[in-house]
Amino acid sequence: MIESIEFKNFKVLRDAKLPLSRCTVLIGPNGTGKTTVLQALQAVREPARYPFAAVRSYLPLGEEVEVCVNFGPPHLGVHFVAEWYRAKGTQLGLRFSRGVEECPEGPALQRGVRRNRVFAFEGRAIARPAAVAANIELGENGANLAAVLDDIRDTDAERFTAINCALGQWLPEFKSILFAKPEQGSKSLMLQTRKEGVSVPDNDLSQGTLIALAMLTLAYLPKPPALIGIEEPDRGVHPRLLRLVQDAIYRLCYPESCGEKREPVQVIVTTHSPYFLDLFKDRPEEVVIANRVGMEAKFVRLSDHPNIEEILSGAPLGEIWYSGILGGVPSEP
Amino acid sequence: MKVAIVSESPADEAAVLILLVGLLQQPIEVFSSPTLRRRPGGWTGVLRTIPTVLRHLYYNTDADALVAVLDSDRSVVHQAAHDAPDAAEPDCRLCELKSEVARIRGFLRPVEGRQPLKIALGLAVPQVEAWYLTGQDPHVSEAAWLSGLLSGTLPYDSKSLKTKVYGTDRPSLDLETRRAREEAERIVRDGKLPLLEQLFPGGFGALAADVRGWCPGQ
Repeated sequence: MIESIEFKNFKVLRDAKLPLSRCTVLIGPNGTGKTTVLQALQAVREPARYPFAAVRSYLPLGEEVEVCVNFGPPHLGVHFVAEWYRAKGTQLGLRFSRGVEECPEGPALQRGVRRNRVFAFEGRAIARPAAVAANIELGENGANLAAVLDDIRDTDAERFTAINCALGQWLPEFKSILFAKPEQGSKSLMLQTRKEGVSVPDNDLSQGTLIALAMLTLAYLPKPPALIGIEEPDRGVHPRLLRLVQDAIYRLCYPESCGEKREPVQVIVTTHSPYFLDLFKDRPEEVVIANRVGMEAKFVRLSDHPNIEEILSGAPLGEIWYSGILGGVPSEP
Repeated sequence: MKVAIVSESPADEAAVLILLVGLLQQPIEVFSSPTLRRRPGGWTGVLRTIPTVLRHLYYNTDADALVAVLDSDRSVVHQAAHDAPDAAEPDCRLCELKSEVARIRGFLRPVEGRQPLKIALGLAVPQVEAWYLTGQDPHVSEAAWLSGLLSGTLPYDSKSLKTKVYGTDRPSLDLETRRAREEAERIVRDGKLPLLEQLFPGGFGALAADVRGWCPGQ
């Protein structure tokens, strides 16, 4: 598992360390580096898309930008580093504090980090018809959802049934996922209503419904990537459904708790929703607060706040966060 | 009888409903237009919304009764002695909720044809999963929790209670609802309601006493 990520001169993250759990919820005001963390993951995945000029801090600090991924037990001491140089471009590599021979899994860990996926779901992208192909991946904005579900239906009928069952819990008005074939080689989604049996095409489904469906599908992917970032998974979703969004994330992080036989996924999510945050009150170690200190952003794990148990007793966590006593709120003029 | 249950999730609602039916020995219809929910993780939210919920149920609906169950977490455990006149404990969540409910009921004006709302309030010590272990784990009780609070060494925590009930400390809502229903049904079916009252006299006992008061003579 990744224990932390350290950033040097990566945009607003000039000198910051992000502590991670299997599930990490990032909260904080705008401009404190939450989205930047996810961009850093994307930059590590696709360095060619992120040249030095796109990742460097806006302050002229140095000639080097660095994202250092630190692994925890059983790979303590292994670091995967991505570096950007003004002159030389990007370098990616593994550093070991104990010697390469002591960590034969190093290359696999590196691959895991580099194959991370970041998602920021958008209703319109989800609703677009998708070209059907084997092993197709869910796009970062939710594109290809129809093709991904179609692939699951064809290759893992049991899993597809489980998704349909879960759909009934998330969106009880719908009974099952159906597919339309707008043109040769492409698929689009329809949801069949439970009562009337009417098939509602994806472009008539609400943005929240489509995002919920994308979250649900992500949670049930047969082979999810080892590291996932999700921008505001609560977006467009009714507060009462947020518990199911949390369940979806935990399904990725703790597959053993829901009978999935695969490796756990490490998930980083950002949110501005006090209602979503409420659900993590018993998990202060999973919440990280971003704050702006001068011209840079810093991260503090909620469980590291002094007297946190007493502070959290009584009121919902989202409300406590909103009050400002935990930090992570916008400054005022 | 149509009962509105103010709960945090469908899991809590399912369990409370089964326990209520067990206590009343009569079918209950859950007020569900729509179902009432409270914000997760904080009892202060209940305290703030309960006046509005009470007024709404009384003036705008045909609900006969309202049931609310809070988690005590690490706050004061409710005792029967708190119910004596002027003996309410200021740090007891149930005392505070009861006092707020009594205050609001005092303001409700008579409405023709409208019976007063029946109310039942409970306190799960420290949380509802402890109730589900009645008859399964003899070490889980209000007395054990109280003794832990006094000694500073708590006998269990939220995660260990959840693990005992659900097999994981991060249960999905689906699993939570299924297990809540199963355990509540077991308690009623196996005649463990008196044991539940005996093990949780301040929290479940208070709820049971309120519910029995709805149908005097039963």
